[in-house]
Amino acid sequence: MSKQNYLPLTPEAIKILKKNGCWSRHWDKVMVSRGFDPTRIAGTIFRGKVRIGRLDGHFIPMDGIRRYAGIFDANLHNVSIGDNCHISNIKGWLSNLVIENKVLIEDVGSIVCQGETSFGNGHSIEVLNEGGGRELKITEMTSAQTAYLTTFYRHDPDLIQALDALADKYTASVRSDRATIGKGSYIFHCQNIVNVKIGRHAVLRGIQNLKEGTVASSKVAPTFVGDGVIAKDFIFQKGAHITDAALLAGTLVGEGTRIGKQFSSENSVIFSNSEGFHTEVCSIFGGPYTVTHHRSTLLIAGMFSFFNAGSGTNQSNHMYKLGPLHQGILERGCKTGSSSYLLWPSRVGAFSAIMGQHYANFDTSDFPFSYVNEESGHSTLVPGMNFFTVGTMRDGLKWPTRDRRNNPDKLDQLIFNVLSPYTAQKMIKGQAILLELYANTERGQEYVSHQGILIKRLLLKTCSRYYRLALEKYFGDVLVAKLQEQNPAKLSALLTVSPEAVEDEKLWVDVSGLLCAKQRLDQLLDALKAGTVADLTALQQELVLIHTSYAQDEWSWVLHQLPLVFGFNAEISVENLKTLLQKWKIASAKLLNMVEMDAAKEFEGNVRTGFGIDGFPDEDFAAVRGTFETNSFKHQLDEMRVQVAQDLDHSLSILNKL
Amino acid sequence: MATLDRIKNVCVELLKIDGSRVQESSRFVEDLGADSMQSIELVASFEEEFDIEMDEDAALGVKTVSDAVAFIDRVISEG
Repeated sequence: MSKQNYLPLTPEAIKILKKNGCWSRHWDKVMVSRGFDPTRIAGTIFRGKVRIGRLDGHFIPMDGIRRYAGIFDANLHNVSIGDNCHISNIKGWLSNLVIENKVLIEDVGSIVCQGETSFGNGHSIEVLNEGGGRELKITEMTSAQTAYLTTFYRHDPDLIQALDALADKYTASVRSDRATIGKGSYIFHCQNIVNVKIGRHAVLRGIQNLKEGTVASSKVAPTFVGDGVIAKDFIFQKGAHITDAALLAGTLVGEGTRIGKQFSSENSVIFSNSEGFHTEVCSIFGGPYTVTHHRSTLLIAGMFSFFNAGSGTNQSNHMYKLGPLHQGILERGCKTGSSSYLLWPSRVGAFSAIMGQHYANFDTSDFPFSYVNEESGHSTLVPGMNFFTVGTMRDGLKWPTRDRRNNPDKLDQLIFNVLSPYTAQKMIKGQAILLELYANTERGQEYVSHQGILIKRLLLKTCSRYYRLALEKYFGDVLVAKLQEQNPAKLSALLTVSPEAVEDEKLWVDVSGLLCAKQRLDQLLDALKAGTVADLTALQQELVLIHTSYAQDEWSWVLHQLPLVFGFNAEISVENLKTLLQKWKIASAKLLNMVEMDAAKEFEGNVRTGFGIDGFPDEDFAAVRGTFETNSFKHQLDEMRVQVAQDLDHSLSILNKL
Repeated sequence: MATLDRIKNVCVELLKIDGSRVQESSRFVEDLGADSMQSIELVASFEEEFDIEMDEDAALGVKTVSDAVAFIDRVISEG
């Protein structure tokens, strides 16, 4: 409703309002829309400037009870109320608010804006290093990528200054002494809300206390904040779901993330599609798909993404010396076993499984897909083994299907691929390290030590072969996809790289979910430092561009790597590619066989223990777990085998035409 | 030394068990107590003992000592 539509109250309207138990010291400061119906207001105190829209409609919120537009038993102070809102039973005050159309506010303590505020935007949190040094200014526009650069690129003060300036600019743009409650929001059975901006179609039900924050929300990605939530200095991004007495301070909750069951968080970011229940988190960088479900788990001072925490997972970030200064990195796709413990600082390579208690400080980032085990109090590594497990394959399949973000303007840019230039480059390096260690280790030696962790000498060759197989699978996957997408008529067309692609980049990075060539990222960092990225919206657009460049940059990288990894001539021939396809076929078959054997273990031997508590163990097992032959994942594997055969035939037929 | 004896020696050393437990019919997991990691180490040990390379997935499908004897003899004969 535009300002000029407001009219002063008529004497007749004031008379009706007074009769309905309303009170104001300055009725002249109450302005109403044309066609205002004073009979729809009762028991209300007006103070300061109050604007009221039309009150002639109704709506039905999720409880199914129709609400008629009106204001009943409320205390209003400097409030602008849109059309057809229902406001009732306000025990304290609605103060300094802009309430948009069709908002429900019912059975609420107070919703107030006290002085100028930026609603949690620009609040600085101590991520990762609890003692400080990596402060991140959270905003409604902070993506996992923006946060990653601010948190981890501290070696580049000019970049940090530029990123902070963008956060400051955004913060200044939202500063106000009026808090907005977005169109279509429902707020009911809540206690106190102070200095909180509430986006459109948000639902706040039964919250206890919210202070200094933003609840971003939209019609397609409504945000829910539920029973007993206490939050201070926070950003909730679109589609987040936070409930059940969650306790949050200095925390950003990402798009589509679910928080609940008394989860507590301090100085942390938990980006898109994550799940946090029961757990305590402190100074974590929770990248996309950080998942922790158990009461006895503490995540502290670590970076995680595509992560699953086993129950009782724990880490230490100081040794009672100079304070809580240590940090840990679990690269994407890691998982921790029950009661696992890590003494920071340590860094664990992508897609690794960590089991046991680890008091050594190690760096396994050159060895993705590994088991990190504890043997007799020592930390040991089995490189590459986790690539061939059913768990890793299932994770890779499930993440894209569990993207809960419905909004088209997604903040976090995600590349889901398990195999990518990022993991492939590490496997190439890891394979070389393993072979070098093997060549330089006496046969009588049981273990070799590398970057703080022990590797069994016996497994050095075996594990290097695991990486070899995974690389053959990856390069073949990319070739097959490229052939099918492009269906080239000439070899030269296949081997041509898009002019926009990054050429000959050796280093790929995982910018908290966004895999990209470092060179492409550096172009963005240069632009940021040169001041040519105007604001956080422009930065977001640049990150989207990097995301859309993934496939072309990957193909460029693969073409440069093929001769190096497979010993082809620099000029790749059709025969070279056919050779690769044959290797891919074998690697695919081996992967599927090994994953199947791993999955089959879930139906054999000891896993049957406890079934048939008073007899009939096989029947009980069959009734509860079924058989491996009828298991849906087994069928998926069979379908994958058929797909490999079809893809091979199709790809060879394309190559034969070249 | 025959393939069986050499396999027995590898099992005894790696699984820390008495040699008498290792029979041709012994199953590596159920009878000799090899866990999943030890199964992989057994394959690596056989490779080193016999100076061969064993197909990863096929080798992990070997369940008994006699399976291993047949498997290794075949790999050796195939050169």
